[in-house]
Amino acid sequence: MWQYIARRFTYMVFTVWIISLITFAVIQLPPGDYVTTIVSQMINSGMEDLPPDFEQQIREQYGLDQPMVVQYYKWLRNIIVDGKFGYSFVYRKDAKDIILERLPVSFAISGFSVLFIWAVALPIGIYSAVKQYSLADYLVTFIGFIGLAVPSFLFALVLMFFSYKYMDRAMIGLFSREYETAPWSLNKFLDLVKHLGIPVIIIGTAGTAGLIRTMRANLLDELNKPYVDTARSKGLSERALLWKYPVRHALNPFISTVGWILPSLIAGELIVSVVLNLPTSGPVIYNSLLTQDMYVAAGAILILSSMTVIGTFISDLLLAWLDPRVRLH
Amino acid sequence: MTEPLLEVSDLKIHFFTDEGVVKAVEGVDLVIERGKTLCLVGESGCGKSVASRAFMQIIRKPGKIVSGQMLFRRKSDDGTEEIIDLAKMDPKGYPIRQIRGKEISMIFQEPMTSLSLMHTVGHQITEMIRLHTDTTPTEAKVSAIKMLQRVGIPRPERLIDEYPFRLSGGMRQRVMIAMAMSCNPTMLIADEPTTALDVTTQAQILDLMLELQHDYGMALLFITHDLGVVAEIADDVAVMYLGRIVERGDADTVFNEPKHPYTQALLRSIPKIAMQRDELEPIKGMVPSPFRRPTGCQFHPRCAQRFNLCNQVEPANTHLNENHSVRCLLYEDAEARTSNAEAAAHG
Ligand SMILES: Nc1ncnc2c1ncn2[C@@H]1O[C@H](COP(=O)(O)OP(=O)(O)OP(=O)(O)O)[C@@H](O)[C@H]1O
Ligand SMILES: [Mg+2]
Repeated sequence: MWQYIARRFTYMVFTVWIISLITFAVIQLPPGDYVTTIVSQMINSGMEDLPPDFEQQIREQYGLDQPMVVQYYKWLRNIIVDGKFGYSFVYRKDAKDIILERLPVSFAISGFSVLFIWAVALPIGIYSAVKQYSLADYLVTFIGFIGLAVPSFLFALVLMFFSYKYMDRAMIGLFSREYETAPWSLNKFLDLVKHLGIPVIIIGTAGTAGLIRTMRANLLDELNKPYVDTARSKGLSERALLWKYPVRHALNPFISTVGWILPSLIAGELIVSVVLNLPTSGPVIYNSLLTQDMYVAAGAILILSSMTVIGTFISDLLLAWLDPRVRLH
Repeated sequence: MTEPLLEVSDLKIHFFTDEGVVKAVEGVDLVIERGKTLCLVGESGCGKSVASRAFMQIIRKPGKIVSGQMLFRRKSDDGTEEIIDLAKMDPKGYPIRQIRGKEISMIFQEPMTSLSLMHTVGHQITEMIRLHTDTTPTEAKVSAIKMLQRVGIPRPERLIDEYPFRLSGGMRQRVMIAMAMSCNPTMLIADEPTTALDVTTQAQILDLMLELQHDYGMALLFITHDLGVVAEIADDVAVMYLGRIVERGDADTVFNEPKHPYTQALLRSIPKIAMQRDELEPIKGMVPSPFRRPTGCQFHPRCAQRFNLCNQVEPANTHLNENHSVRCLLYEDAEARTSNAEAAAHG
C-alpha cells in the first residue's frame, strides 16, 4: 500500500518537473520576447528615437540576456525556495499576485465541474446500463452524442443567448453587479454559485457524456459476470446486489477516467472563460501569451498543469482505497 | 423410501435473441428426491446450466421460462409441507429470494470469477448468513469460520479476511461450497463444480461434496460431462440432449441397461466404462444448432438405430418401469407409435 503511494507520488513529482521544463521551453518558443513587444509598441506609439542600447538595458534589468538554462534554474529555484513566480512586465507587480487572484476561481469551476460530471454521469450511466435498449437508454445515448459533438464555446454562446433572452440578464461574469465589489457574504456566495451554473454545465457536458458512456459500457460488462449470478443466488435483492457488486466493480475505470478528464476540463475552462468573460486564469493566460508576459504565463500554466497531475494522484489514491487488488499488490 | 423434493414437468426456456428464438430447454421432466443425488449429463450446450438456473429463477437475459411447472416442497418450521411452483415466481420478487440461498443454493462452473474479487471471503459468506438468519455480525462470522473449517480450509479465521484473488481455484471452490452450504439448504445445485480444476483437486472437491451431503442430508443436483463421476456419486441419472431429457432412471439401471441410443453412445464413448479400448467410439455427427432443430426425434440424424418414423414423429416419454423412462420410438408400443404418427400427419 505505502509502496504504491510512494511510487505514485514519485511519478507525480517527476511529471510536474517535466511539465515545468516543457512550460518554460514553450513560453520561449515564439520569436522575440517581452522586450520586443515593448519596443514595437513604443515605435507604434511614435517614439522613434530610442537609445541604441535600450533593448539591451531592459534585457539586463530583467535577466533576459542570460542563457535559457540559467533563466530556467532561477525561475524554478525562486518558485521552490521562495514561492515566487517572477515579475509581470505588463501589470508591473509579482506574477504570483496576478495568478493567485485568478486561479481560485479556475479551481472552483473545475472542481464543481468534476462534481457535476460525477453526480450526473454515475446515476445516468447505471440507469442506461440496467435498462439497456430501453427508450430511456437510447435517449441518453443520443443526447450524449450531441453533448460530445458540440464544441463548448458554441454551447456557451447558445446558453448565453438564452439566458439573456429568457432570464432577462446576461449570465456573464461571476457576480451580479451589486456583489461585484461587495465583501464576502452568504448572499455573495449564493450569487457566485448561481453564476457558476452555466460555465459548469458548459464545461462539464462533454465530460459527462463521455463518462456516461464509460460507465454504461463498464457496467454492462460487469452485469454478466458470474459473481453477479452468485450474489443473486444468495437471495440479495436486485437493487442491493447492483450497488454492492457490479457497480462497485465498474467504478474502477470510472475513477481513473477522472484523471484524464481534468486536463480537458482545464482546457474547456480556459475557452469558456474567454467567451463568458469570467475572471479566471483563462483570459490572463491568453493575454500574457499574446504580450509575452512570460512569468505570468509560465506560472499559471505550471500551476494548472500541476493541479491536473495532483488530481490524477488523488484518483490513484481513491483507486487504492476502492480496489483491494491495487492496494495489496 | 423416496420423497420428491422438486418435480419439474415440461419446462421450456427460450432465449429471445435478435437472431431468433433459441429453444435452449424444450420440455424437461425431472424429479429430485429429498436427500438424494441426481446427476444431469449431456454434451456441451444441451441446456444443463440453463435448466438448473431456472430452478432458482436466475436465467440470464434474454432467456425466459415460457412454460412448465417446478413444484418445490418446502417444509415450514412447524413440520407442515407446502408445495410452491417456482416457475410462477417473479424472478425479482421477495418469495423467490427467500428460496435462493436458504432452500436452494448453487455452486457455479467458474470458481475464478464466481466470487467478487473486491470483497473479502468473510464478507461474502456472512452476507448470505445474515440475509437468511437472525444473527449478529459476530455470530455470522463465527458460523462462517465453522463452515470454512468444515470444507477443509486451513486456518479459516485468517482466510476469512482474505480477498479471493489471493486464493487458488481449489480454495475458491471450497469457499463457494462453504458459502452455498452456510444456510443449510435442502437442495444444492452444483454446475460442473470441478471442471475448471486440476485432477487432484477435482477428486478432493468431489469427496468433500459427498461427505457434506452425507452429513447435511441435502438433495444434490450434480451437473457434469464426466460419466466416471456419475458412476461414483449418482443415485439417479438424467441424460439430456438438445434441451430434453431423453432418458432417466436410477444409476444402476441407466449404466447397466441404457435404453436410449444416445445414452448407449455416451457410455461407449467413455474410456472408464467401455470395457475395452477398441470398443471406444465417439458419437458421430455434431450437435445441431439450436436454431435448426431436427424434426421428429432430435437425435435421429446421429442415431445408428433410426428407422422410417424417426424424422417425423416426436417420441413421447415412455415409462419402462417405475424408475426408468426413455424418449425413443423404439420403446413406444406399436399402437402409440401409429397414433403419434397420425397426430404428426394431421398436425
Ligand atoms: N444468453 C444466451 N443467449 C442466447 N442463447 C443462450 C444464452 N445462454 C444460453 N444459451 C443457449 O442455451 C443453450 C444451452 O446452454 P447451457 O449453458 O445450458 O449449456 P450446458 O449444457 O450447460 O453446456 P456446458 O456443458 O458447456 O456448460 C446453448 O445452446 C446456448 O445457445
Ligand atoms: Mg453449463
